[in-house]
Amino acid sequence: MADAAGSVAEPVGLELAEQFSSKDQQREAATLGMWAWLLTELLLFAGLFLCALVLRILYPASVTLATTHLKFWIGATNTAVLICSSFTMSGAIVTSRLGFRRLMLGCMLATAGLGSIFLLLKGFEYYQDYNEHMMPFLNMPYLLEKDTSSRLFVDVYYVTTGLHGLHLITGVSILLWLTWQASQPRFLEFHQNRIEVYGLYWHFIDLIWIIVFPVLYVLNR
Amino acid sequence: MTGPGNHTDYPLLLWPAAASHAATHVDYLISAFTAVTLLLTVPIFIAITYFALVYRAGRKVERGHTSDRNVKIEMSWMLIPFFLTLGFFAWGAQIFDTAKHPPGNAMTIQGIGRQWMWKFEHPGGQAEINDLHVPTGQAIVINMISQDVIHSLYLPAFRVQMETLPGRYTQVWFQADRPGTYRMYCSEYCGTDHSVMNGQIYVMTPGDYEHWLNSAGSSISLAGGGKRLFASYGCTGCHGAASTVRAPSLAGLFGRPVPLASGGTLVTDKNYVRDKILNPDHNLIAGYKQVMPSFNGVIPEDEMIQLMAYIETMQEVQP
Amino acid sequence: MSPSDAVLRDPGTPRITIDRPADYLHAEHTLRSWFFTTDHKRIALLYLASITGFFVLGAVAAGLIRLSLLVPNGQIFTNDTYNKLFTMHGVIMIWFFLIPSIPATFGNFLIPLMIGAKDLAFPKLNLLSWYIFMGGSLFAVVVLIVGGVDTGWTFYAPFSTTYSNTYVIPALLGVIVVGFSSILTGLNFVVTIHKMRCPGMTWFRMPIFVWTHYAVSLIFLLGTPVITMALILLVMERAFHIGVFDPRLGGDPVLFEHLFWFYSHPAVYIMVLPGMGVITELVAAFSQKRVFGYKFVAYASIGLASITFLVWGHHMFVNGQSQLASTVFSFLSFAVAVPSAVKVYNWTATIHKGAIRLDTPMLYAMGYIGLFVLGGLTGLFLATLAVDAHLHDTYFVVAHFHYIMVGGTMLAFLGGLHYWWPKFTGRMYPEAWGRVGAFLIFIGFNVTFFPQFILGYLGMPRRYHEYPPEFQLLNVLSSAGSTILAVGYLFPMVYLIWSLWFGKRAPANPWQAKGLEWTTTSPPPPHNFLRTPVVDYEPYDYAIKAREVG
Repeated sequence: MADAAGSVAEPVGLELAEQFSSKDQQREAATLGMWAWLLTELLLFAGLFLCALVLRILYPASVTLATTHLKFWIGATNTAVLICSSFTMSGAIVTSRLGFRRLMLGCMLATAGLGSIFLLLKGFEYYQDYNEHMMPFLNMPYLLEKDTSSRLFVDVYYVTTGLHGLHLITGVSILLWLTWQASQPRFLEFHQNRIEVYGLYWHFIDLIWIIVFPVLYVLNR
Repeated sequence: MTGPGNHTDYPLLLWPAAASHAATHVDYLISAFTAVTLLLTVPIFIAITYFALVYRAGRKVERGHTSDRNVKIEMSWMLIPFFLTLGFFAWGAQIFDTAKHPPGNAMTIQGIGRQWMWKFEHPGGQAEINDLHVPTGQAIVINMISQDVIHSLYLPAFRVQMETLPGRYTQVWFQADRPGTYRMYCSEYCGTDHSVMNGQIYVMTPGDYEHWLNSAGSSISLAGGGKRLFASYGCTGCHGAASTVRAPSLAGLFGRPVPLASGGTLVTDKNYVRDKILNPDHNLIAGYKQVMPSFNGVIPEDEMIQLMAYIETMQEVQP
Repeated sequence: MSPSDAVLRDPGTPRITIDRPADYLHAEHTLRSWFFTTDHKRIALLYLASITGFFVLGAVAAGLIRLSLLVPNGQIFTNDTYNKLFTMHGVIMIWFFLIPSIPATFGNFLIPLMIGAKDLAFPKLNLLSWYIFMGGSLFAVVVLIVGGVDTGWTFYAPFSTTYSNTYVIPALLGVIVVGFSSILTGLNFVVTIHKMRCPGMTWFRMPIFVWTHYAVSLIFLLGTPVITMALILLVMERAFHIGVFDPRLGGDPVLFEHLFWFYSHPAVYIMVLPGMGVITELVAAFSQKRVFGYKFVAYASIGLASITFLVWGHHMFVNGQSQLASTVFSFLSFAVAVPSAVKVYNWTATIHKGAIRLDTPMLYAMGYIGLFVLGGLTGLFLATLAVDAHLHDTYFVVAHFHYIMVGGTMLAFLGGLHYWWPKFTGRMYPEAWGRVGAFLIFIGFNVTFFPQFILGYLGMPRRYHEYPPEFQLLNVLSSAGSTILAVGYLFPMVYLIWSLWFGKRAPANPWQAKGLEWTTTSPPPPHNFLRTPVVDYEPYDYAIKAREVG
C-alpha cells in the first residue's frame, strides 16, 4: 500500500447487525433513517426561512437596509467552500465503495478541512458584524437603531446562521471521529455503510446553506 | 340571578345568566347542539351496553354474521353525522360574523389590560378600574390593548370574550338588554394575580347610565385630553394646520386609504396609526419624506388612547 | 390457520422452564443489563417505570390543585404556588407522561413483536432516546419542583419571555431535549415499520395498533421540529432579548401561538391515536371478531394524522386572527370528526355479534369509547365559532381535554397495560381487583370532570386560583370525584406490582387473541421469536361461528 491510487482495493462490506435479517435490509433501513432525520431537520429550518420571508413581505425597506450590512462576499465564498466540500464528500463515498481507503481518508479530511474553513470565515464575519455594531441583542449600541424592524431580520439572521453553524460544528466533529474510525484496519469491510449515511447528512448541511444564502443574503439586495 | 354581592348561600347553578339577546341566541345554539349530540351518542352507548350483555361469550345466541365490512354503512355513518354537525358550523359562523361586526352607531369604550387590572375609559373621559358601567339598548364596542402580557376580556353574561394583546388593538362588542350586575374576567392566564384580575359589569338603563356618568365626573373628555397631549408631545409642530414641515394632515385620517411608498394602499385604522406613532419607519407613505421620530416607549397606553380619540375627532374639522 | 391457534391447542400445559431458553426478563439480571440494554422490550419497561414516576408526580400536583379549589378564596396555597402547581401538572402530564405514554412503552414493546421483527431498526438509538428523555425530563422536573415555573404548559409569550420571574429557561430546555427523544423514537418506528416487517406481513396485514403508531411517528417527525424551533426562539428571546414574540422588541405574540399550536394540536393526536390503536386491539380480542372495516380504520388513522396539521387555528378564534382564517379552521376542525366517527362506529360494529368477555381490559375499552365520544363531541362545540367565543379558556375546555386525554388516552393506557401485562411480565393480574379498579376510575373520572363542563359553561375561567363563591358547590363535587379517581389509580398500581411476584403464571396467549405477539412465549425470548414468523393470513382472523363459540 505504497501510494493510494495503486493500492489494492480493500474488501467493502457490512457487518450484519443482529436485528436485521439481510444486509440489504440493514442498508435500506439506515438510509431511510437518515432521510427521516433530515426531513425533521428541514422542518426545523423551515420555520426560520418562513420568518425571514414573512419579514421581507412586511418590512421590505428595513430588510433591504439590513441585508446591505451582511457580508455578501463572505457568504458567497462560503457557499463555494461548502459546494466544494460536497464534492470531496462524494469523492469519499465513491472511493469507499471501491475500497480505496487511503483516498477515501484523504477526501474525508479535505471535507472536514473545508467545513472548518467555512466556520472560520463565518466566525470572521461575526467578528466584523460585532465591530460594525450589527449585534442588536448585545448590550451595546446597534447600528440600525432607528429602524426597529431591521432588528427582527438581523435576529433571524443570527438564529439561522447560528443553528446552521451548530450543525456544521457537529458535522465536522462526527466526520473527524469517523475518519479516525475509518483509519482502523478492516473498517470498510464492516462499516462502509457509515460513510454513505454520513454523506447524506453532509450534503444536507450543504443544502441548507444553499437555501440560507439566497434567503438571507441575496433577496432584496 | 345570583348577584355577586349576595354572600349568604349559593344554590347549584346550572345555567349562566344571559344579559343580551345575542347571548340567548348562543344558548339556543348550544342547546340544539347538545340535543343533536345526544342523538348521535346515546345510540352508541345503548348499543355497546346491549351488545356487551347479549353477546357475552358463553351465551347461546345467533352469531351467524354478516361481512366485516360494508362500504355503504361506513360511508353513511361517516358522512351523515358530519353533515348534521356542519349545520352547527354554519350557525356558529353566522353568529360569529355578527359578533365581529359592530353596528355603525356603537359607542366605543376604551379598555386597557395590565397585570392585574382592567381600566376602562368612557368617551366623556370617565375612567374606572375593574368595573364597567354600560347602558342597555346601545351597542358597545370595547377597544382594548394590553400594556404588558396577553390578557383576555371575558364577559360570560354576553357569551363573548376577546384577547387583549400587547401592541395591537382588538375589539369586542355587545348590546346589553337586561339591567343587572354581571361578572367580568380575565380569561387568558397572565401571571400571579390572574384570578383576581376581574370585576363587575353593571348594565343600567340609559337614564341610570347618564346619571352615573355625571356622578362619576371627569374634568375633561378623552378627545379633549388627547388634544392637550397632541400639543405637548409636539405633534402640532408638523401635523398642525399652521405647520411649515411637510407632513400629512391627519384630518379625516381614519378609514381613508393611504398610498404606500412600496406600492399598494392601506386603509387606516387604529392599529395602523398606533404603529405609525411608535414605528414611523413602517409602511412609508408615498410622497412624504420620513422625518418623524419614534415615540416607542415614550407614550403610555392610556395617553395613546386619548391621542387616538383626538385624532379621530379631527375628522369632523375637515373642511 | 394462524400460529396463535397452535399455541391455543394446549393452554393447560404446565410451564416448562428447562427446555427453553430464558425469556428476555430472565436472560440477564445485572443492573447493567437493564441500563445498557438494547432490547426494545427492556427499554419499553424502562420507559414504563419512568413515566409511571412522572404520572405520580403529575397526579400529586393535580390533587393539590383540587385541594386548593375546595375553597373559593384560595386560602390553601398562595397564588404563586397555585400557578406553579398547575404548570407542573400540565408540563409533567403532557410532555413527560401522555406524549411518551403509549408510543414509548407499548409501541416500543409491541411494534417489533406485531410485525415479526427481532427488534427495532436502531436499538442503540432507542436506548439513546430513553437517556435523552430521562435527561430532559428529570432536569425539567427538578426545576419544576425545586424552583417552580408559573407560565402554564403553554408558555405563552410575552409572559414567558419577559414577565415571568420563574425558572422558565431551564424548564424549556428540558422540554426541548425531550422533543429530540420523541423525534428519534418516531424515526425508529417509521424505519422499523417500513423495513423490518417479516415475510408475508404486508401493510394491510398489520394490526391497527401498528397503523396508528405509524401515523403518530409521522407527527413526531413533522411536528416536533416546529415546536422545538418555537421553544428555542422563546429561550433566545428570554435569554438574549432577540425580538421575536414580545412586541416591545418588535415581535408578535400571536406568532408564538401559531407556532405553538401548529405542534401542540397534532400533539393531541400523538396522545389520542395510539390509544385508538390499543382500543382497536382490545375490542377485537374481547369480541373475538374481526375489526369491522379494517381498511377504513387504518386509513382513518393516517387521515387524522394529516388533518390534524391543518386545524391549529381553532385554538385562536378569540385572539384577533382574521375572521376568514377562523372560519376555515372551524370548518376543518369539523372535518376531524369524520375519521374519529369512523373509529367509534366501527368499534361498535365490531362488538356487534361478537363473543364478548368483560374482562378488565374490555371494561377500560368500553369506558374509553364512551368518554372519548363525549370528549370528541364537546370538541366540536369548541370548534363552533360562536360557542368558542364563550367557552374559550374556561373550565369547559379543561373538562373537554381531560375527557380526551384521561378518559381517552389514560383509559386506553390502562386497558392496554392489563391486556399486555401477561406478555410483558409473564404474570396474570388479579381479575376481580382489576374490574373494581376500572369501575372506580370510570366513576371517579366522571364525577371529577363532568361538573367542570357546567362550571365552564357558567363562565369559570381556567387557571383560576380564586373563583366566585357561587361556583364552590360544583368545585367541591369535582374535588370529591378526584379522590375517588386517586383511589382508583392506586388499585392497578398496587395489584400490578403485587402480581409481579404472586400473580398466576401467564400462558402464551391468555386472551385467545390473534396477532404475532401472542404466538411467542410470555414473556418473549430476547429476540422475540425462536423462528422468524411467516404470515400467510389476514389480520384479526377470528372466526366466529355461533355454534363453535356459543
